[in-house]
Amino acid sequence: MRWLALVFPDWPLQALFRNPSHTRPLAVAHRQRVCALDATALAQGVRPGQGVADALAIAPDLLARPKSPEAERSALREAAGCALRYTPRVVLEDDGLLLDIAGSTRLFGGLDALLRHLRSDLAAAGFRALSACAPTPRAARWLARATPGQCVADDDQALAEALAALPLRAMEADASLLALLADSGLRTVGEVMKLPRDALARRDAAGLRRLLDQALGQRPDPRPFFEAPPQIDSRLELPVPRHDSDVLLFAANRLFNACCTQLAAVHAGIESCRLELEHEHHPPTVLTLTLGTPSRDAHRMALLTREHLARLALPEAVGALRLKAAHWIELAGRSEDLFGPQAPSPARRQEAGRLLIEHLRARLGPDRVYALSACADHRPERSQQQVEPGPGTTAAAQGGRRPLWLLPEPRLLQTLRNQPWRGGPLELVSGPERIESGWWDTDGEASPGDALRDYFVALSTDHAQLWIYREHLPPHRWYLHGLFA
Amino acid sequence: MTTQAFSLLRHPSLWRAGDVSPSVPNGIPTGHAMLDAALPGRGWPIGEMTELLTDCSGHGELSLLMPLLAGAEAESHWRIWVAPPHLPGVSALAAAGVRTRQLIVVRADTAGERVWAIRQALRSGVCSVVVGWLDRVDNALLRRLQLAVREAAIPLILFRPLQQARHASPAVLRLQLSARAAGVLRIDILKRRGAPANQPLYLQGAGFDAPLATAVVRRAAPPALALIA
Repeated sequence: MRWLALVFPDWPLQALFRNPSHTRPLAVAHRQRVCALDATALAQGVRPGQGVADALAIAPDLLARPKSPEAERSALREAAGCALRYTPRVVLEDDGLLLDIAGSTRLFGGLDALLRHLRSDLAAAGFRALSACAPTPRAARWLARATPGQCVADDDQALAEALAALPLRAMEADASLLALLADSGLRTVGEVMKLPRDALARRDAAGLRRLLDQALGQRPDPRPFFEAPPQIDSRLELPVPRHDSDVLLFAANRLFNACCTQLAAVHAGIESCRLELEHEHHPPTVLTLTLGTPSRDAHRMALLTREHLARLALPEAVGALRLKAAHWIELAGRSEDLFGPQAPSPARRQEAGRLLIEHLRARLGPDRVYALSACADHRPERSQQQVEPGPGTTAAAQGGRRPLWLLPEPRLLQTLRNQPWRGGPLELVSGPERIESGWWDTDGEASPGDALRDYFVALSTDHAQLWIYREHLPPHRWYLHGLFA
Repeated sequence: MTTQAFSLLRHPSLWRAGDVSPSVPNGIPTGHAMLDAALPGRGWPIGEMTELLTDCSGHGELSLLMPLLAGAEAESHWRIWVAPPHLPGVSALAAAGVRTRQLIVVRADTAGERVWAIRQALRSGVCSVVVGWLDRVDNALLRRLQLAVREAAIPLILFRPLQQARHASPAVLRLQLSARAAGVLRIDILKRRGAPANQPLYLQGAGFDAPLATAVVRRAAPPALALIA
């Protein structure tokens, strides 16, 4: 057994703001007392435990937010989701995680490499963690709290020595109990370990002895493992409401990275997700990101978000972002292409194609990017339809000669002495081709769907070849319908 | 002395103004033998921008591209049309051998959006041809397109109005298209790599192959020249 403990320093602050890029000092207060603060606030003289009013007197532009246990829990689940990528056995603590990495250290290339990957994943999601490694979960956590960076080998003697050096406050026990021990002149865990058991029991400190036994591995310490719920709902607050898309994109990236790492841990992908931009006085602006294919590519989500943001007019500055993604789809890992990116596989090209389309749609609008396909209808305006681009062939043309350009709406032509006219008389070159179809299609009296037309290829005086038709029924008007371009 | 001079003339880095530049990499054949012969790379230049300057509509200007668009390539290659002026006719395209389901049509209004869409298409690496319709556009934007297409290494064809011929452009190949007679397209090569061309080309009818001997074309002739059927 080998345990890696992660402790997030100033967790109430991290959980709310995720290491933002900021200049204002930040603090989180619990019952009107500062309980967590960032380096800027610390440099300005704010101290933990101070009253909020005092802190504001010291640092007037301090941004103090109330502690939010709910935000902390959900952020912790998110961090755990990231950690799931490295081991399936993750335990939630109040302000940190415990990872059983006995089975996966080798897979990730040793403890150092694993830690490096884990840290960069967490950093991408906006978390910063201190860590320590030990044979028992409790010892690992104590070490991470007091002397982070330590790694104790799987050896009883070494473990006892490492723990003995820890200060008393590393033990997560009742504060009054620790105060009692401190008053008796005890300073380190080692000194407590030396006390006889019955002496501890007499001072109502038997619980302390149990913790010690667990830390030393002499008593079982079972832990419930975290299981990721198959949905993502993470929220990130901005220190100051912001309007500029760069800041929003930076913050959204944190959510995307966390989301994608969680997805990678369970070998899943999503096809779409909702990014909600919360405003103070308005209902949230919702961006629906459609990825086209199941994916867990944070870069792709960021690209789409950038396009949406470029197009969007926000009613008000954004105070918080929220990412929601349900409907996880199983997505197996993919092998790298043998010949590298120079010769991408068809599957990869297909995916790049989907990405291109979604990218174009995000900026130009969903109905402005399409492919065309033929329909079984003789009426030219209904013989084709917009379809999703993709593989497949189109049935060969039917009927006579068809033009390359169709006008969306047939255009009425002038007539002069019963001759169609367009900047000059039109000379009929071939035809007529009668198209008579669609009597069953009536969308009201005004625009009956049936077509009774005689089509001609006509030549205009400027040598253009046009596709025109004459109505079969009176008043026999002429229309321009296409161009042989 | 003379032999030395002659051996100098054969030096690969020496370019004689009379030649169509030999160092130009091969392009994609246009499908029209006469046009191929006049183009430096014997076809549409790859990784370069080609401008087709024309005010034609209905004169066969789009048929010129059909062999390129119909090229029998892998299923995963896409073609993209940015901001075509009308609705593309599926029947005619299918008849010309174009896979219309892999032809992405993008509608975009402003020049900025069009250039953006073209650049996205070039950068994606999934398109084999990009065709765009651009009106007046900033030279800086054109230059960006030129850079993008160089990286993409595919042909980029831009249709532009004839009046833009007066303005300079970073495109390496500029063709002016105009109607000569019914079904006859006149092509003036305004700019190409190598020697300037001073003879217009006349492409005719379905194959666009037969050189036109006389300038007179009878207008009343029956449509022996189906542009695209």
